[in-house]
Amino acid sequence: MIPLLLALAPPALAGDSPPPPPADAPAEELPPLVKNPELLQFVQAPYPPDAQAEKLEGTVKLILEIDETGAVTKAEVSEAAGHGFDEAAVEAAKQFKFSPAEDATGPVPVAIEFAYGFVLDAATKEGAVPEAAAGDQPPAEQPVTLDGVVIEMGTRRPLADFAIRIEPVGLETTTDAEGKWAFRGLPPGPYTVRAVRPGYDTLEKSVEIAAGQATSARLWVRNQSYADPGIIGSYHKESADVTRRTITMEEVRRIPGTFGDPIRVVQSLPGAARAPLGTGLLIIRGSNPSDSRVYIDGMYIPYIYHLGGFESVVNPDLVSAVDYLPGGYGPQYGRSTGGTVDVTTRSKFPDRNQITWSTDALDSGGVWLGSFGDKHQHGIGAAARISYIDAILPAFLADDGFSVVPRWWDFQTKYQYQGDNPNKFSILAFGFQDTLLLHTPEGYAQGTDQNTQGDVGTEYNTYRLGVTWDRNFGTHWSAHVAPSFGSDYAALDVGNSFHLIQAKYTLELRAEAKYKHDDHFSAAAGLDFIAGWSDFEIQLPFNPAQLAEIDALAERDPYSLSGTATGFGPDPYVNVTWKPFTDVDKLSLNGGLRMMYVIIPGENEVLAFDPRFSVRWQVVKGTVLKGSTGLYHQPPQPFQQYRPDDEPVELGAEQAWASSVGIEQDIGPEVQVEVEGFYKDLTGLIVGNRNFGTIDDSYFLNAGVGRAYGVEVIARKAPVGNLFGWISYTLSRSERQDYPDEDWYLFDYDQTHILSAVAGYKLPYDLTFGLKVQYTTGNPTTPYSLGVYDVDQDSYMAFQTGDANSERLPPYWAVSARIDKLFTFKAWQLLLYVDVINALHGDNPEFEQYNYDYTEKTYFKGLPIIPSPGFEAKVEF
Amino acid sequence: MLIFALFLGCDTVEMSQAWQIDRLRVLAVAADPAEPRPGDVVTYDALVVSPAKPLLGSAWFVCDAGSSTDFGCDIDPSLFDGMDAGTVDIAALAAAGMIGFLPGYTPTWTVPTDYLDGLPAEDQIEGTFAMTYITAIPEVAEGEEMQEDDLEIAYKRVPVSLSTTPNHNPRVASWSIDGLAIEDGAEVRLDPGQAYTIGVDLTEDSVESYTFHNEDGEDESRTEEPYFSWYLQEGDFNQSNTLWPYTEAVYFAPDEPTLTQQSLWVVVRDRRGGMAWSELKLRFAD
Repeated sequence: MIPLLLALAPPALAGDSPPPPPADAPAEELPPLVKNPELLQFVQAPYPPDAQAEKLEGTVKLILEIDETGAVTKAEVSEAAGHGFDEAAVEAAKQFKFSPAEDATGPVPVAIEFAYGFVLDAATKEGAVPEAAAGDQPPAEQPVTLDGVVIEMGTRRPLADFAIRIEPVGLETTTDAEGKWAFRGLPPGPYTVRAVRPGYDTLEKSVEIAAGQATSARLWVRNQSYADPGIIGSYHKESADVTRRTITMEEVRRIPGTFGDPIRVVQSLPGAARAPLGTGLLIIRGSNPSDSRVYIDGMYIPYIYHLGGFESVVNPDLVSAVDYLPGGYGPQYGRSTGGTVDVTTRSKFPDRNQITWSTDALDSGGVWLGSFGDKHQHGIGAAARISYIDAILPAFLADDGFSVVPRWWDFQTKYQYQGDNPNKFSILAFGFQDTLLLHTPEGYAQGTDQNTQGDVGTEYNTYRLGVTWDRNFGTHWSAHVAPSFGSDYAALDVGNSFHLIQAKYTLELRAEAKYKHDDHFSAAAGLDFIAGWSDFEIQLPFNPAQLAEIDALAERDPYSLSGTATGFGPDPYVNVTWKPFTDVDKLSLNGGLRMMYVIIPGENEVLAFDPRFSVRWQVVKGTVLKGSTGLYHQPPQPFQQYRPDDEPVELGAEQAWASSVGIEQDIGPEVQVEVEGFYKDLTGLIVGNRNFGTIDDSYFLNAGVGRAYGVEVIARKAPVGNLFGWISYTLSRSERQDYPDEDWYLFDYDQTHILSAVAGYKLPYDLTFGLKVQYTTGNPTTPYSLGVYDVDQDSYMAFQTGDANSERLPPYWAVSARIDKLFTFKAWQLLLYVDVINALHGDNPEFEQYNYDYTEKTYFKGLPIIPSPGFEAKVEF
Repeated sequence: MLIFALFLGCDTVEMSQAWQIDRLRVLAVAADPAEPRPGDVVTYDALVVSPAKPLLGSAWFVCDAGSSTDFGCDIDPSLFDGMDAGTVDIAALAAAGMIGFLPGYTPTWTVPTDYLDGLPAEDQIEGTFAMTYITAIPEVAEGEEMQEDDLEIAYKRVPVSLSTTPNHNPRVASWSIDGLAIEDGAEVRLDPGQAYTIGVDLTEDSVESYTFHNEDGEDESRTEEPYFSWYLQEGDFNQSNTLWPYTEAVYFAPDEPTLTQQSLWVVVRDRRGGMAWSELKLRFAD
């Protein structure tokens, strides 16, 4: 009798979920993986003789610990099957070989659950095959009469370690590294070939062997889960940052309303207020959008979204993780008083080429991932997208001479050395451009001002080239160096008289030396250097200085200004981490200091020191208390630091003293609840000079103060199994006071309640359903009424009838849904989906609108129900 | 997508439009002369329309030029006590800046001879301005109380200068419909639901050339660039403003006019404070 072994792969191995934590380790020890371990070598266990004799079957659940090399260092039975199955499974599993799991820093040890199944073949059960034939291959000198190869559907990847069994003779073999298999000396006749491997559908195929001929069979087998195995993640990362929420691509792809864009998902996490009209503005913990910064592999970029805010400027297929830090982050991030979003691009590229093409209602694009070299040590990826919304819009607009031409494109290319050399380096180049042109027909009046007649157009583009080098020096020291260079261009044309152009060039250098004495103590010193210069050109129909004396009838001279501005900021920082207890996870203390020094030669200098502290204390296993406090400084915006008369600006930095306390509580292995309270005290906020009267006066002053405080709650279900999701809720309040003798008022985007519920569920037949529900308090508004007519300007001037931001828009709530279906063909895969934004067509006011004389008021409503179909085709070769 | 939304779905509830006359409105105010010199006597006229309620009258005030961000004349409200009884102290009101009340008290303002004395001589050529305020007051039926928003308040700047090329008000010479000239004061019969190209002609001297003293101290010769604001009672325009030299707009007559007799108005502004207007009377088939 030949027993047929069937090992049942856990979902983690199939790549659709992160591995569960080791049985003896708390969940927070898991690093945020960017690559799951993949089984490279499967070892068949001998079928226990007693179980075989009694025709018993069973499944043994194992916990496998896998080290950085992919070797199984420990195999423990978590759910026994008895009858000798457990011992056999453990011994076989210890010989497994995996590709190592990886986080952003490289290979890391992990633990996974593995189900090892023992299943008797039908012949054994029925006793129809003579024992003498079992397991015996015909002598090698006999000719090959049946051979073939096992190939994965969709990817065309040859698969090793497949058990190939020939019925009814009961012969069995295993595919080699190239997926090939062969049998010799089989007599002519009909046979059934059966291919079995954990994680794949079992395949049975009928073949006919003719006399004197060899028969070949190509076996296409279907992976039981085609989710991207290369990008997964976990919820916690051991870090000095108290609140670091890592977005995993596996979650992102199932969230409706995000177009699979990981950066947009940030807005469904605690602390992030809803951005108006889905524009994607980052409004984090009561901060202005301009107070938060976004980085791509450490490179600062000014715009993260394309026009309209629906897609970020980075192709999701090249993103490995998005870290969202609403506050309490360490000194490696700076020049901002709000939050930080750090986008990490892919650092591991597949051995085989992968080409993916995506098309939706907005744009189309492709991405190629692959590697070359003897050991595939050179990883490379390239992606590009282009929009065609300008070609579609005319179909929906009346042919009245108006036209709207929004257009964008982006590209990214990355090289990553992924070999054994201790010097690790990568090169990333990316760029994007957005253009919007509103064309009006000849003779159509755009308002009443001659200066604003004609077309309106804007364009911005960004390019970056960055290099990273990482190296470990012995066991204690490591270094990271990342220089980059890039340009940002922005232009705005309004009619014939308004022209604004700025071309900015930026040089950045991030360097960090880290010393890790042992698991208890580590320290890092780094530099976050930025230098930039810009050429700008401004043409206006009047001198803005004349605005100090408003006269609608005043004749005004055209005004132009051009020049060059330079500035730089060499911000050094240090950070120390100390874990005093033997159990290094018991208590972690972090302290850091950052110096912010921004110099605008001849105009302004800003110097500030930011001490920051954080602590994590594991009270008991699964329960962590945490807290942070620190200063965060932000230099004035470039336009605030410029004066055309070259006089010093003397404008200081804005300051936030941000503190937080919170608790993380694991509820089982898959659910975690986190509660965090925060308070942010804002001082030195830059406001317009209310006494500005002459050209000699300062345009801006550090006269404002503010405060933001609240509580954030998130409960997350890990993407293990068919269901994942989270519920996040933020209760907050953010206020401002422009001058000490003025009243406090609500921050423009203050939202008392912010609730997001996100869920994804994998249905049968490769269907996936996603749902997102959002509820937020309406933004504050200022009431106006009783317009008074300015006869010369032909417009009404309103009277403010209440305090600033003393009223609110109605609450916002929306439901978005997504359903997708994966089709797997022999050579490729096709994902069809429909993403429905605002599926219930919620009536969501975004802004107040008044009529011409402020006697009527209505709301500018948000997005209507928008179904967005699309597809994604993927081929691997 | 946002752009999609803006064009496809981000609808707003229709509100009344500025070019649609359905309530008491001050559409234009003209001073004559349009750019007086100190000592000149300025008379005023206004285009006030009130299709829903009869107009009681309009009160006029002039204040010295201060900051135009300040609004209104500084008038003691008690000066209006006795208005209902007809015992108001006109002299006190005039001292406070009241220059007229129509009907009956024609708004007239004599520019003080020292009005520009505070300005340097070269700035007196460009001059300054006086703020004129007009409050249009509707009649209130017996038993009703006047509400604050029943009033229509407007203000206008009157340039006062020593300009060598002072501004003059433009003048509307004639109307045309689909290219056909309309006799002055004629009532035009139109068909509901039809589109008509309406236009106006200005008198030859309406678009003036003038001298502008620029920031570099040089004199420039400039020509006015007036614009036209169109108003209606029912129907629609393809655009409610046209800019010189475009003097026509397409008028879409209402499909089912509620009023047999209606009007179109056009207001011309020369951007230097000069203003003119005209009315075209329409009649729709019963």
